[in-house]
Amino acid sequence: MNILARLEHWKKEGAISLEQHAFLASLSRGEPFSLFLELNVLLYAGVLAFVAGLGWTVTTWSQQIGDVLVLIVLSTILAGCFWYCFSRAPAWSAAETAAPSPIFDYVLYLGSLVWCVELAYLENRFHVLSGQSDFYLLATGGLFFFLAYRFDNRLVLSLALSSLAGWFGLTISHWPSHQDAAYRQYALLYCLLVGVGGVLLQRRGLKPHFFGTYLNIVANVLFWALLSGVFNRQGYGLWFLALLIACGASLAWGVTRRQFAFVAYAAVYGYVGVSSMFLRGVFDETVVLSYFVLTGVAMLVVLVQIARRFGRPA
Amino acid sequence: MRLYTASSEETLRARKLLTDWAADGILTNAQYERLEQETISELRTTNIFLRLVLFLFTLISVGGAVALFFVVSRPSEQTSGVLFLIFAALCYAAAELAVSQARLYRYGIEEALAVCSVGFLCAGMDLAPFSGRPYSPKPYAAEFLVPAASAVFSLWIWRRFGLWYAFLAAMIFVVFLPGYWTSSHSAQHVTIAVFYAAGLICVAAVRPRHHFDYLADAYSLVEAFLWLGIYLAINLQLSSLNLRTQWLGIGTIASEFARPFYWATWVLIWCLPPLVLARGIRQKDRFVIAVGAIVAILTFVSNKPYLGWPRHTWDPMLLGILLTGVALFIRRWLARGPSGVRYGFTAARLSGKDKRWMNAGSAVLGLVSPQSITPAPQTSSPDFRFGGGASGGGGASGEF
Repeated sequence: MNILARLEHWKKEGAISLEQHAFLASLSRGEPFSLFLELNVLLYAGVLAFVAGLGWTVTTWSQQIGDVLVLIVLSTILAGCFWYCFSRAPAWSAAETAAPSPIFDYVLYLGSLVWCVELAYLENRFHVLSGQSDFYLLATGGLFFFLAYRFDNRLVLSLALSSLAGWFGLTISHWPSHQDAAYRQYALLYCLLVGVGGVLLQRRGLKPHFFGTYLNIVANVLFWALLSGVFNRQGYGLWFLALLIACGASLAWGVTRRQFAFVAYAAVYGYVGVSSMFLRGVFDETVVLSYFVLTGVAMLVVLVQIARRFGRPA
Repeated sequence: MRLYTASSEETLRARKLLTDWAADGILTNAQYERLEQETISELRTTNIFLRLVLFLFTLISVGGAVALFFVVSRPSEQTSGVLFLIFAALCYAAAELAVSQARLYRYGIEEALAVCSVGFLCAGMDLAPFSGRPYSPKPYAAEFLVPAASAVFSLWIWRRFGLWYAFLAAMIFVVFLPGYWTSSHSAQHVTIAVFYAAGLICVAAVRPRHHFDYLADAYSLVEAFLWLGIYLAINLQLSSLNLRTQWLGIGTIASEFARPFYWATWVLIWCLPPLVLARGIRQKDRFVIAVGAIVAILTFVSNKPYLGWPRHTWDPMLLGILLTGVALFIRRWLARGPSGVRYGFTAARLSGKDKRWMNAGSAVLGLVSPQSITPAPQTSSPDFRFGGGASGGGGASGEF
């Protein structure tokens, strides 16, 4: 019985109303057929291609075109984008708000990317903050956070989070020694800042739907940082302990909230970390392969149990 | 031929649709709970994340076990080939058992076992009959059996288990076939395109029987793959191996092919996108429409290298303006129709699933895109350095 026959059956049984039947049957037949997703992908690809070409052109021809013309063009596009967004945006709300027009999110995204191109151009040509270029990233991150929260835009929120991550990375690169350890500490600091920030914003009801984005980014950065500590030749015990705690927390969060990406993070990152500990200094290939067979099967048993108890598709 | 009964798969599909409709608020909770009872399936499923992790750990276990066996027994090359074939049979039997006994459906475990069986068959076919022969730069004609058997077995896995990527694997194996039959590059391209076209004809013949049933999406995806395969086979600028060299203008592939063949493929790459798009729109087929759009973009991108014209830095800008313009035009044109619908198409969002896809996609793409659009520095002037974006932030994080 295909879905149309099933809908007919449910209508006859009285399980669904006539209107629901008509609507669901037409939806199942693709009448009308929605091109919403395709048109959005096309818009995104268009913006991305445009900015890529813009950056490439500016890079290649800046000396021939001249700074003034380049800056006028970039500033005009930037001003146009932000004028469009600020003039069209509805009043701010802490809750999730729909974009006022179908192209609104992409105009904002275009403006944000052009801002990056212009900022990079300005610094490169005029060295305004010479030697302190990481502050551009901090300022850019701040601007993008403001825009993301003002216009309820996840694309720009992701840009803000990656700019902030870039600022942490550039800041630490000023320290010449012990880079690995320092990077790790800054990654943890980044996780702490973004994680706590995300929780506070969610608790205060400020765009709580952004929380998932924060959490996924924090989880991945945290696991990478902890794993890099576990891979250390010395002093890895504490990092290993921290990894186990993080895996336990991720697993518990994933299972209780039914967000199974976190179960997957715990399984994969945890397995890599534990394997690196057990196989440290082991070079006998029979032992190594036996380890993979045994632990692989053990992981399968545990994951099947989790899948049976919690993991059916919602 | 299929491992799962049609009624089981239809029930699962109905259950999934019910969940979507309830999430969209089309059905009330009471209706959902009542109808859900009618869509209980005996098949065991899980969500995408656990499916992926189960797939990974099955691969690790099976791969580790087979590697351990070879390390312990250290067989000769030919014996290894035979053993690989035995392992392929064992993996396949295990996959069948996982479905027939444990009733696993897209659970990761049975998928990984099926994938391993294809891999082991390929390795076994390569080692068992053809090992121990003297070295020759030219491949033995009978060696075509390796990709041929692998392609046939992948197709079988696709039919039996309904795994879409097994069909893709079969298409990839087909790419290696003509190399054993002819050294002519033109003939190789044509042979691959003919194979895919034959597949397309078969799929197009079967599809009308499966409108609105559980196989509709599977056939739609397969047709989309075949169209894309045909396009890639005839677009010489994309399918040639030394792509980077040609696109940088260091070499040219026009000389590799006879002029009539080269220009015939150029004509075809312009003819195919409208054909695919028309077919997708007529069938209201999402995957085929998407492939139509992709091949149209690829045609624009590869046209200049085809004609031997120089690339300009502003070409991506023009492409971006074109894509945005087309998207805006279609959206407005559809929105102006009665109730926002024209010829059965609408630009409005009808399902909450689209929004969930957009949300997930925008979070990921927002992180990825700054790196992908940041241009390389201008090399002509040593004092001018611009771009980078190694740490994200839309290129503003580069080395200034």
